[in-house]
Amino acid sequence: MTTNSMPLTQPSAGETEHSEHLMLDPRPRREINNMVMEAMTTTPRSFWIIVGVLTVLVAVCLFGAWLYMILNGMGVAGVRRPTYWGMFIANFVFWIGISHSGTFVSAILRVFRAEFRRPITRAAELMTAFGLAAAALYPLIHLGRVWVAYWIIPYPNARWLWPNFRSPLTWDMIAITTYLLSSLMYIFLPLIPDLAMARDHSEKWRHKLYRIMALGWRGTESEWHRLRTAIQLFAFAIIPVMFSVHTIVSWDFAVTKTPGWHSTIFGPFFVAGAIYSGVAAVAMILFIVRTSMANMKYFIRPEHFDMLAKLILVFSFTWAYFYFNEYLLAWYGGDLSDWYVWAAITKEPYGWLWILMLTFNIVIPWITLWNKKIRRTPWIMFLIGFVINMGMYIERYLIVPGMISRSRFPFAWDGYIPRIELVMSFGSLCLFLLLYALASRLVPLIPVWEIQEGQMAHQLRRIGKTEVTSVSEIE
Amino acid sequence: MSEGTEHLALFREIDPASQAIEKLRQLGVDDKDMTIISGIPYSEKILGRPSTWTLVPHLAIAGFLVGLVIGLLLNLGTPLLYPLQVGGMPLLSIPTSLVLTFETSMLGLLTFTFLGVIWESAYPSFGPKVYRPEISDGWIGVVFRCPPEIHTQAHEALANLGAEWIHRTEAVNL
Repeated sequence: MTTNSMPLTQPSAGETEHSEHLMLDPRPRREINNMVMEAMTTTPRSFWIIVGVLTVLVAVCLFGAWLYMILNGMGVAGVRRPTYWGMFIANFVFWIGISHSGTFVSAILRVFRAEFRRPITRAAELMTAFGLAAAALYPLIHLGRVWVAYWIIPYPNARWLWPNFRSPLTWDMIAITTYLLSSLMYIFLPLIPDLAMARDHSEKWRHKLYRIMALGWRGTESEWHRLRTAIQLFAFAIIPVMFSVHTIVSWDFAVTKTPGWHSTIFGPFFVAGAIYSGVAAVAMILFIVRTSMANMKYFIRPEHFDMLAKLILVFSFTWAYFYFNEYLLAWYGGDLSDWYVWAAITKEPYGWLWILMLTFNIVIPWITLWNKKIRRTPWIMFLIGFVINMGMYIERYLIVPGMISRSRFPFAWDGYIPRIELVMSFGSLCLFLLLYALASRLVPLIPVWEIQEGQMAHQLRRIGKTEVTSVSEIE
Repeated sequence: MSEGTEHLALFREIDPASQAIEKLRQLGVDDKDMTIISGIPYSEKILGRPSTWTLVPHLAIAGFLVGLVIGLLLNLGTPLLYPLQVGGMPLLSIPTSLVLTFETSMLGLLTFTFLGVIWESAYPSFGPKVYRPEISDGWIGVVFRCPPEIHTQAHEALANLGAEWIHRTEAVNL
């Protein structure tokens, strides 16, 4: 067996064909380390301008607007009878959905040993952390009186205030806490060897930072054994946690008797939608990372967009299947309340949004992603990812304020016009981008050791007249 | 590890490193007095080393059980202390308890797995250790402890196998 210090095979016609695959295009480990470090430490003026602008936008549009709402009351938002759940909750569902990308791309693909995952897992895992950070703000924002948020935490007190553990809102708090903590631990564990690499390749404050974060990692046999065991345990265990989180989010709606919400398939429907939007968001973020950071074109290649596009297509089918299920049964069931809800969604006043959603979530992916050339063109995949996420946001909007605006009492029907919510939604997007931008310069976005391991495991093997990829089991 | 001085040999490739392990064994160095340091994980089979034991899976199970107990106490214990009747629901309800118990159990499992790695590896540990930064550049380090009488023999044997840097331990602060 050879290490990565030299090419696995001599260049040949077959290899030229395969060299587009990262796993078949090895470079010495030192070079890969330097490329990743250079990507992290290169901070041109444009980067700081973007960070500065995002910081101001987060301060003004998110926290400033939130403070304004706290000082002036919930009346500055568009929520009012009967639409008490507006964009704040739609945003919450959207960001929880985005957070599913990391776990899906990393854990599920790791369990199934999908090799294409190697360079993209960390970028996706960071999306989970920052998506959850954005999502976790919204229940607090939606609460209005955020200063009493601690009432939901179970602790002995003299006021007999005790969380109702039969309430999905309490489940939400516990599930999001579980998922956030688990995701942070799951990001950190595979990061330790790369932090040690960064420690060995940095100076001054970065060296101090990585030295502390690497915890004293050397890479001994026992350290690797423990780490791999823990990563395997995490990969298996975090998948049901991921499913549970979005299922519980769906139960916030489904356990009520509200028309349109009271559905037995809301759990899997929400999970499918979350993974759909999450994977599309991974394609977007990979494009941004690839184009904005040094050396990333070596690591993030058209093959990765190709594989993500196939996943997107599969989840587009899954989402469409669930959505049709929802629609058909409501249509067939004959419940008048359900008919009114679906009439509002598909005709007036939300019909144009519904058409837009179906176009974004079904028509565009289905007519584009069959094409290999499109799947392998990063900027087109960015656009498709953007369109899908727009579509998925509309879906959440239609489910939350859209459906609740047609309650069982026609005299209470009313429209919903978001006000400060629009500003805060933009602010939370800026928060996500800001956190990601900062992390991209502090954390090795590429899992170097996993790439080297993958490149070692891949070889070209001649069978008959051609060379085929052969993957060795070195784990 | 037994008495003796620690040595570190650096190899560029894994094949000679695994042969070095075998060679040291022939020279009388015990398996527990050797270890491999590398930038990527190699299985025991590749290295020809005895299986490594870890408590992490057991700690994970323990964490699951701790989470389960906490979940059960919160779900089934506290409603008796703080009765809260809602919408005709029973005070103690198994279906709804399953949700929260699942979450706390999984949180326990994952937290104990994480803490297990930290605890078993004695992290954080920044004190002097046998290490060279080249290891994160793909070099493979063979660390061994041997009695002084076979120092020269071991160094020669490893140099013949292609070790490019053999030295008595220079423990460095990480």
